Amino acid sequence: MSNRSIRWLLAELPELVSDGVVDEESADRLRKRYPEPSSLSGSRLAVIVCAVFGALLIGSGVILLLAHNWDHLGRPMRTVIAILPLLVSQVFAGWVLVRRGESTAWREGSATLLALAIAAAIALVDQTYHTGDDLESFLWRWSLLLAPLPWLLNSSSVALIYLASLTWWAGAAKADRLEVIWLWPLALAVVPHVVSVLRENRRGLRAANLQWACAIFLCVAAGLGLEWRVPGLWILVYTGLFALMIASGAAFRHDEVGLWRRPFEAVGVAGSVVLWLILSFDELWRHIGWHHIHNDERFHEAASLFDVVLAVGLPLAALAVVALILDQKRNALQLLWMLSVPVVAVVWPLVAASEDSSFRWIAALAFSLILFVVGIGTIASGVRTEHLGTVNLGMTVVALLVVVRFFDAEIGFIAKGLAFIAVGIGFLVANIIMSRRLQRAEGDSP
Amino acid sequence: MTGKRLRLALFVVLAIIQLSVAAGAIIRSEIALRSGEVYRFKLRPVDPVDAFRGRYVALRLAESNAPIAESLPYLHNKKVYVPLTVDDEGFAVFGQAVIDRPDTGDYLRLRCGIEHTDESGQRLVSLAIPFQRYYMPEELAKEVDRSLWRRGQRPAWVAVRVRAGAAVVEDLYVDGRPIREWLADGGPESELTEPGS
Repeated sequence: MSNRSIRWLLAELPELVSDGVVDEESADRLRKRYPEPSSLSGSRLAVIVCAVFGALLIGSGVILLLAHNWDHLGRPMRTVIAILPLLVSQVFAGWVLVRRGESTAWREGSATLLALAIAAAIALVDQTYHTGDDLESFLWRWSLLLAPLPWLLNSSSVALIYLASLTWWAGAAKADRLEVIWLWPLALAVVPHVVSVLRENRRGLRAANLQWACAIFLCVAAGLGLEWRVPGLWILVYTGLFALMIASGAAFRHDEVGLWRRPFEAVGVAGSVVLWLILSFDELWRHIGWHHIHNDERFHEAASLFDVVLAVGLPLAALAVVALILDQKRNALQLLWMLSVPVVAVVWPLVAASEDSSFRWIAALAFSLILFVVGIGTIASGVRTEHLGTVNLGMTVVALLVVVRFFDAEIGFIAKGLAFIAVGIGFLVANIIMSRRLQRAEGDSP
Repeated sequence: MTGKRLRLALFVVLAIIQLSVAAGAIIRSEIALRSGEVYRFKLRPVDPVDAFRGRYVALRLAESNAPIAESLPYLHNKKVYVPLTVDDEGFAVFGQAVIDRPDTGDYLRLRCGIEHTDESGQRLVSLAIPFQRYYMPEELAKEVDRSLWRRGQRPAWVAVRVRAGAAVVEDLYVDGRPIREWLADGGPESELTEPGS
């Protein structure tokens, strides 16, 4: 139970006892089961935040000082300056590991400092000898040297820095048309750390932040990691990824309250809405599939194959989570949000099989319908559970669909106008039926 | 406790790797600078003003292609050995790229880029040059920035020490003089040397 819920329960207890809902003994047992959350947790958090930001600022300051290029110092002195901060932060991190391993603030602070000291050392050596190529090569070497640190020093801030540098490297390498096939194996380096944090305290701030970082990393990396050899394969990859995020987020949830503590579901839902809006334009479905495969030799065979593995594996993984792990009765809404998986499984091959993508309007229409159905379904579910956030989410989806279609130049004004009026009438009819039902219900109850 | 010991042991190993990556780069560069052969690589005529806007000069070699034998496979993104020779003017020239390390003479180990064929039918491959930047202190960059109005293309080359495949930039020359000397004498406001003279 979250601290807020415990405080609420403890405040309610005296009244519950005086009303005779629970007796004094049960109240005592409840007080023992849920002790007053300590107000120290807030200040402890502040200490950690200060340690991380302190280290971050000092480390960045050192990097800036070094970037000034102390030309007159000469090479021997500059090499000492490159190595010394690295050595000092290594010894410091080692000391923390042995003596202060239990303190999150010490651990996070020393590990952050070390991560930046590594960057400073590589950068200064590059600068002194005019070697080391471009940004992409620098980020690659930094990422490799960072990879084991999150687990070894049990540091989430370094895990965040590592994921950021890895993503940045992939972006820079992709811009230079280099291979980024190592992105996925390297990203696995954070998994041991994530698992240990989740085991330790899955409702804590560290767990939530780490999951947010992983969810956002996956969104960006899925695009960067692709070889883009078969046009349109990204549609399958992203549909599968977002569905998998929603399914596994719901399946492995243990009553975490609030959107902030359910990052995979939040990112999956937001990503799905954006993806479906994009896919509701038929232009995106032009020239996709194996008829338009790029055949020149600059594509990497293994990376191209891995694209196909992702495109097939991610949607299947999402379905597997639904079939095997997810409690389908409790998560009917999440199931609805995965509607795009079966639709895309039918529509994508259909468009790809037609040589001139002549069926692409079917695909675009299908995604407009998905947005509509999921939007309405979400509103209905929110009304049923009296959850305002869910109602708002559904209304946002429908509203976005309306705006996008209103300005869609592909459809004629008459068709658009008639469709809008028809849907509007539908809403009014639903309104009338529902308010009649409400009146009847109120009439029945005394 | 054993878990903690193991973690510490692994951390020490990682720390040594981190140090040796930095130290290794220093040692390799120092060996090349102290005992390597000097090669002068002709740069494309630079506009030093533009080049100094950042904190480094972007070095663009006049010639960054190497010939390759017909028998070799497609080399995109592969690493090759490129032997170095010197032309009549004393500038470095790339020899024919090969897959195996040459037994004699100096060479660079470079990654191949895009391939093309010249008018005579010779296969050429572009090379990813490892010395693309010459870092400068920021005051120097600003000083050059201020004299923006005197612009002109200057002949330039970069002196590189090469040993056992490693290449380290020794100095950058503009108008035939080391860059710092050239800047001290007025830099961009100094008299423009006629190209070819």
